[in-house]
Amino acid sequence: MRLHTAALLTGLAPMLFAGHPAFADQANNSIRFAYDQAPESIDPYFNNVRIGVIIGQHVWDTLVYRDPSSNEYKGLLAESWERIDDRTLEFKLRQGVTFHNGEAFNADDVVYTLNFVADPENGVTTQQNVAWIDRAEKVDDYTVRVISKEVFPAAIEYLSGPLAIHPNEYYEEVGPEGMDRNPVGTGPFKVVSNEPGKAIVLEKNEAYFEGSPKEQGPIETVDIRIIPDRQTQVAEMLSQGMDFVMHVPKDQAEQMEQVPFLQVVSGETMRIVFMQMNTLENSPAPALKDERVRKAIMHAIDRETIASEIVGAGARVLDVICFPSQTGCDASAAPTYDYDPEKSRALLAEAGYGDGLALDIVAYRERNQTEAIIGYLKAVGIDARLNFLQYAAMREQIRAGEAELTHQTWGSFSVNDVSASTPVYFKFEADDITRNPEVRDLLQKGDTTIEPEARNAAYRDALALIAEHVYGVPLWSLPVYYVATSDLDFTAYPDEMPRFWEMDWKD
Amino acid sequence: MTESTAFAAVAMPSAGARLRRRVFGHKSLVFGASLLAVIVLVALLAPLIAPYDPYAQNLLARTQPPVWYEAGTWAHPLGTDNLGRDYLSRMIYGARISLVIGFSVMVISGLIGTTMGLLAGYFGGTVDLVVTFLVTTRLAMPVILVALAIVAILGGSLLVVVLVLGFLKWDRFAVVMRSATQQVRSQDYVAAAQAAGASTPRILFGEVLPNVFAQLVVVATLEAASAILLEAALSFLGLGVQPPLPSWGLMISEAKAYMFFSFWLIAIPGTALALLILAINLAGDGLRDIVAPEGRE
Amino acid sequence: MLRFATRRLALALLVALTVSAISFFLLRLSGDIAIALAGEGARDIDIEAIRAQYGLDRPLLFQYGEWLLQVLGGDLGTSLFFRTSVGALVLDKLPVTLILGISSLLFALLISIPLGVLAAIYRNTWIDRLALSIAVVGQALPNFFFALILVMIFSIGLRWLPVSGSGSWQNFVMPTIALGYYVAPAFMRLVRAGMVEVLSADYIRTARAKGLSRRSVIVKHALRNAVVPVVSLSAVQLGYLLGGSVVIETIFALDGLGFLAYESITQKDFPVTQAVVMLLSVFYVLLTFVGDLVNAWLDPRIRVA
Repeated sequence: MRLHTAALLTGLAPMLFAGHPAFADQANNSIRFAYDQAPESIDPYFNNVRIGVIIGQHVWDTLVYRDPSSNEYKGLLAESWERIDDRTLEFKLRQGVTFHNGEAFNADDVVYTLNFVADPENGVTTQQNVAWIDRAEKVDDYTVRVISKEVFPAAIEYLSGPLAIHPNEYYEEVGPEGMDRNPVGTGPFKVVSNEPGKAIVLEKNEAYFEGSPKEQGPIETVDIRIIPDRQTQVAEMLSQGMDFVMHVPKDQAEQMEQVPFLQVVSGETMRIVFMQMNTLENSPAPALKDERVRKAIMHAIDRETIASEIVGAGARVLDVICFPSQTGCDASAAPTYDYDPEKSRALLAEAGYGDGLALDIVAYRERNQTEAIIGYLKAVGIDARLNFLQYAAMREQIRAGEAELTHQTWGSFSVNDVSASTPVYFKFEADDITRNPEVRDLLQKGDTTIEPEARNAAYRDALALIAEHVYGVPLWSLPVYYVATSDLDFTAYPDEMPRFWEMDWKD
Repeated sequence: MTESTAFAAVAMPSAGARLRRRVFGHKSLVFGASLLAVIVLVALLAPLIAPYDPYAQNLLARTQPPVWYEAGTWAHPLGTDNLGRDYLSRMIYGARISLVIGFSVMVISGLIGTTMGLLAGYFGGTVDLVVTFLVTTRLAMPVILVALAIVAILGGSLLVVVLVLGFLKWDRFAVVMRSATQQVRSQDYVAAAQAAGASTPRILFGEVLPNVFAQLVVVATLEAASAILLEAALSFLGLGVQPPLPSWGLMISEAKAYMFFSFWLIAIPGTALALLILAINLAGDGLRDIVAPEGRE
Repeated sequence: MLRFATRRLALALLVALTVSAISFFLLRLSGDIAIALAGEGARDIDIEAIRAQYGLDRPLLFQYGEWLLQVLGGDLGTSLFFRTSVGALVLDKLPVTLILGISSLLFALLISIPLGVLAAIYRNTWIDRLALSIAVVGQALPNFFFALILVMIFSIGLRWLPVSGSGSWQNFVMPTIALGYYVAPAFMRLVRAGMVEVLSADYIRTARAKGLSRRSVIVKHALRNAVVPVVSLSAVQLGYLLGGSVVIETIFALDGLGFLAYESITQKDFPVTQAVVMLLSVFYVLLTFVGDLVNAWLDPRIRVA
C-alpha cells in the first residue's frame, strides 16, 4: 500500500502494475473489447462508424474478401467472378453456406440485398457505397450479375468491403430495424446480445462454412463495451477490466507499453489527414485565394516533426491528398514542399501579409495535432483560431462555404482505390472548396476509365495540379495503436479492422 | 471583489471600526481574500512573471516533469505539457481565463438576476408572479445538460461559454435579491422616498439597491466560484473553451489521458482550481457571516 | 390546503410546458439535424433522403405541436441515432440514474447529518471548525477531478472496485461518493444552523432543566426539529443530483440517463436530449411540488403565502 501511494503521488505508474499477473480470460477464450462510440444500428448498411464496420465484418460476409496482408481478392460468398462487359460482373456463388438462423444462402439473398440497398428510398446511411449499383440479377440459384450505372472500375473493391449480404427472407420480413435487434448473417461470429449504446456480445459461429478465407481461431466470445471516455478506457486496461482497445493516442500507448501485462501494437491505416483551404469566389478568407499564402502555409508546418513526435509510429508524411496504397494515388508528378519558416514568412510578406494574418481553422478530431499545427502557423505570423466542432457541424460549415482552413481526415471506407478519396474533395462535390474545373475533369476521367495506365495517368495529373497550386495541404496518414493483454496474438492491418476470428493466444 | 469592495458594501459610518475588527478577526475570510488577491495579482501580472510565451510549443521537449521529479529541471519549474509548452506559464495565464470566466458570468447573470429580483421584490403582484415563474422554470432545467447541449451546437469558445453560463445562472441572484428587496421595501426610508415623490428608478437604484448590495456581493462571489467550476466541467467533457487557450479546466481535460502516468499534468491545474474555488468560497462565506443577520452578535 | 395544492400544481404544469418548449426550440433552431444524422462520409444525396424521411423539412411550430401531442400521449419519439423508441431507451436507463441519485443523496445525508449535529453541539470548538473545513474543502474540489483520483486509488492501485460499467453494486460505490460528497456541505450547514437554533430554543432549555439527559434531548427533540428543512432540501437536491449525474456517469461509463444525455448531445440525437431534459425537469418540478406540500403540511403559515 505504501508503495502504491508513493507511486500515485509521483505518477510512477509502472511501479503500480508490477505486482499484478497477466490474466486475460484465456480459459474461456473470451476477449473484452472497449470502444468509444456506439453504432447507431448493427445492420452494417445503417451506420457509418468504425465499430459498425468491425461488427459487420464479423457477423456478415461479403461476396469477395480482400486479404489484408497481400491485398489479393479472394472468393468469400462468391467462388469466382468475371467481367462480362464494362458495367457487368458475374459471380458464381459458394454452395452449402447457411445463415445464423438456418436460412440457406443462394442467389436470391445477393439479389435482394444489393437491390434493396441500392434503392435510395431505403435510406442506406452511406449512399456513396451503393450509389454505383444499377441492379443485381439472378442468373440461376448460384449465379448473379451485378450491373453498375456507369463504368466503375472499383466495383470489386466495394463488394469486398462495405457490401455485406443479408438473408433475403428474414430481411424482407423484419427490415433494417429487425436486423438491428436480431442480426442474422453468415459470418464467423453471431450477435448474442445487443444493448444499444452499452454493450454488444459476439459469439463464435460454430457452423461457419469450411474454406472461408476468414479462418476461425480459438476466440469464442467478444464482449464489446461502449466506453466513450479515453481515460476510462485506459483505466480499464490498467486495472485489467478490459483486454483490447484501439485508437489509443500515441502518448498513452507508449506509456501503457511499459506495463508488464499489456502489449501495444501499432500500424498505419488508410486514414489520411490534410488541410483544406477555401479558395472559392466568396471565400471568407480572401487571402487564401493567393497562391503565395497557400504555399506559405505549406512551408510553415513541420510535418516530419509532428508526424514523428505526435502522430506516431507508422505515420507517413503525405505528398498528395490520397493514401499511397490506393490504386491511382500516384505522387510522382507532384511538387513537394519542405518545412521552411523563412521562406514561408517571405512568401507572406510578398503577398502583403508581412504584418500577420488571422485565419479560422475548423477541426473535429486529433485535437493535439490541430494544436501543433496552430503553433507552427503562429510562428510565421499566421494567427489561426481554432473552431473545434462535431464532425457534422464542421461539414455543415464547409458545405456552406463558411470554413477558411480545415483540419480534415478521410478514411476512404477502407476502399483501396483513389476514387474513394481525392474526388470527394476536388471533383465539385459538396466538400470541394477549391473547385478547379481542370482538376475535376482529370478526376472524372480517372473515375470512369478502365484501362489501368490511362486511368493512373489521369489521377497522377490531377494530383500534380492540386499540389502545384496547393489546393490543400497533405499532412500525414494516421496510425492506429491497439493496446491488448500481453498474451493475445494478433496482427494490425492498414484497414483499421481488428479480426477477432483469426486471433490466437500466445503460448 | 476584494476586501475594499466588501468594506464599501457593508460599511456603516457608526460601525466602521467595529466592522474592520470583525473582518480582520474572521480568519477564514482573511485567508480566502488574501489567497484570492494573490491569484488576481498573478493574473494581472502574467506577462511580467510568466517565464515563457504560454503558446510557444516545442515538440521535442514534451511532457517534461516538474522540478521536484528526478528528471525535472529549473528551465521548466512545473514541467511542460503534451506540446512542450511551459506549464508554469500556462498556469499563470490560465488564472486570467478562470477569473475572466468567473467575473463575466457573475456580471451577466448578476445583471439579469438582480434586475428580476429587484423588480419582483419591489413591485410584487403580477411582476413577482412572473419572476417566480421564470425562476422556477430556470431551476427546473438541468444546468449542465442544457449548457452542454448549447455549447455542442454553437461550438465552444470563451465567449459562448461565458454567455451560456451567464444566461443560465441568474437564478440565485433573483431569489436572494427578491427576498432582500422585499425586506428593504417595508423600511421607513423607502416609504419616505415614495412619499417625497421620488421616481421608481430613483427609489430602486438610490434607496433599495444600496441596501441590498451587501447580500448581492455574497451571492456574486459564490456564483463566480460556481461558474468557474461549471466551465471546468464543460471543458472537461470537451464542450467548453477551445485550445490553445490555457484554461485550467481545459488543462485538466487535456491532462486526464496522461494522469495515470504523468500525474502532475492533472494535479497542478486541479489543485490550482480547487485553491481558487476555496479562496472565493471562503471569502464569500466570510462575507455572509458578516453581512447576514445570524452572523451578528 | 387544497387551494394551495392546486395553485402549486398549476404552476408546476406551466413550468413543465415552458421547459418543453424551450428545450425543443433551442435544440431545433441550432443546426441542421439531417446533416448531423447523415454522419461522417455522407454526401448530399444521403442528407436529402434523411431530411424527407424524418419530416425535418416541415415548419418548426408544426414539429413542436406534433412532438408535444405525442409526448402527452406517452410517445417520446424515435431516437435519430439508435432508431428505437426514446421512451424505451429512457426507461431502460432510468433505474441506474435513480439508484445513483438516491444512493448519493443517502451518502450525503449520512456524512452531513452527524457532522452537522456534532458541529452544532460543539459550536466554535475545533470539531465545529473541522466539520466546516471538510465542507469548504469538499466544495472546492471539482467532482470530476475527485472521481479520477478515486479511480486511481481504488481501481488501479488497490484493485478493489471496477472502473466502469453498471453490472453490480461495486460499480456504484465510487460514483456515489463522487456525486454525493458535493451536496453534503449544503446539508451540513443546514443541519448545523437548525441545531444551533433549536438547541438555544426555550423548550430545549426547559427539557434540559427538567434533567433529561443531554443525549435524549439532542436525539428526541433537537434533531427531530432540525431535520425538517433537510427533508425539503433533499427533494431539491435529488433533482440537482440527477442533473449533475452527467459528468459522473460519463467518467464511470455508468449506463444511465446522464450518460445517455451526454451521448445524445455529442451525436446530435435531439429527441433523446429533449426527452432527458424534459424528464429531469418534470422530476424536479414533481419533487419541489411534493417538497412544498410537505412543508405546507408541517408549517401551516406557508399555506397563505
